[in-house]
Amino acid sequence: MQPTRALLGMRYRKLRLTTKDVNKGFYKGTGSGSMGRHTSRGGYIIEWNKVRTFVCPDLTGFKLTPFVTNNVKRTYGQYDTKLGPKDPQEYLARWKSENGLD
Amino acid sequence: MATASAVRPSLGAAFRLTSSNIPKRISPSLTQTSPLSTAAPLLKRHTYPNARSNKDMSKSRGQSALRRTGLRWRLSVSDDPLPKPKPREELPPVEVDPDHGLWDFFPNRETVAASPEDDMKHGRGWMVEELRGKSWEDLHKLWWVCVKERNRIATGAWERERGRLGFGKSEAQGRDREVRITMRGIKHVLTERFYAWEDAVKLAENDPEIDLSGKGRPFTPKEYLEGEAAEEEVLEFKAEEEGEAVVPPPQGKAQGEAARL
Repeated sequence: MQPTRALLGMRYRKLRLTTKDVNKGFYKGTGSGSMGRHTSRGGYIIEWNKVRTFVCPDLTGFKLTPFVTNNVKRTYGQYDTKLGPKDPQEYLARWKSENGLD
Repeated sequence: MATASAVRPSLGAAFRLTSSNIPKRISPSLTQTSPLSTAAPLLKRHTYPNARSNKDMSKSRGQSALRRTGLRWRLSVSDDPLPKPKPREELPPVEVDPDHGLWDFFPNRETVAASPEDDMKHGRGWMVEELRGKSWEDLHKLWWVCVKERNRIATGAWERERGRLGFGKSEAQGRDREVRITMRGIKHVLTERFYAWEDAVKLAENDPEIDLSGKGRPFTPKEYLEGEAAEEEVLEFKAEEEGEAVVPPPQGKAQGEAARL
């Protein structure tokens, strides 16, 4: 059996590296993210704090949609300080008024 | 006692002795007639010495599934009638759960992809300023509403491509864009809120009204206390700075649960 002619010789060097290329040491992920760690014997231990869990809340009776009507003009917020919405003083003041005395 | 075999002749014997089974030239040992001169040699088929076998070496000669020839030899089930498949109209209807979650992948029960006219009926995505006023619960639910909408759009695009249904890709992409703008805004708001919270916790260390140690209430507003008590609290705060013993501030009049930030 022969490899595809297009992959022979110097033409292969111009292609992008895959996970199967290069000797030991070259790692290329596939976009799934790290879920654990490798063991010295070639195994893999899953670290469950790294594994993603998707929590979907109960959407019954929820009226908001991904869209806002075009009749409402776009208005940007007006803030007193330079930091604006990122201002921690603003955050604290709002927390005190809304949440502090629960 | 008489066994069954003694009473009834065995089936094998009956088979052998039926008239159709007796070969035309019977050997002299079976009957009581005198041996014929030609009896024994006539039983043996005439073959030449060293003759090659005449059998058909090709066991599946003439058999073809493509040309539907059927089998070469009859089977015990060869005469059994084959079952005929029911036409599709006569089949019982498939039972579908009307509340199945997978229905949410489609815009309605009749179609697999929304028409371009329906896909165009959407507004604009949420602005970040509009999302800033929303609670965590609302933002969390809105995020998943967006996810489901994108799944619906993607299913429609896939089905449109697969079934060559026609136009609609551009309208679907426009709708998808607005949903993604909303999702981007949700992420931005939550990140911003987190960073602001981190900075606020740092600021609260120097705020006399706030105590996040866990003892007592986290927030004790100054206006709540009487005049002397407010001064006392300020003095306590100064004493704390100088490293002297700290008297905890007096409890406010309103009873409430200590809500940690």
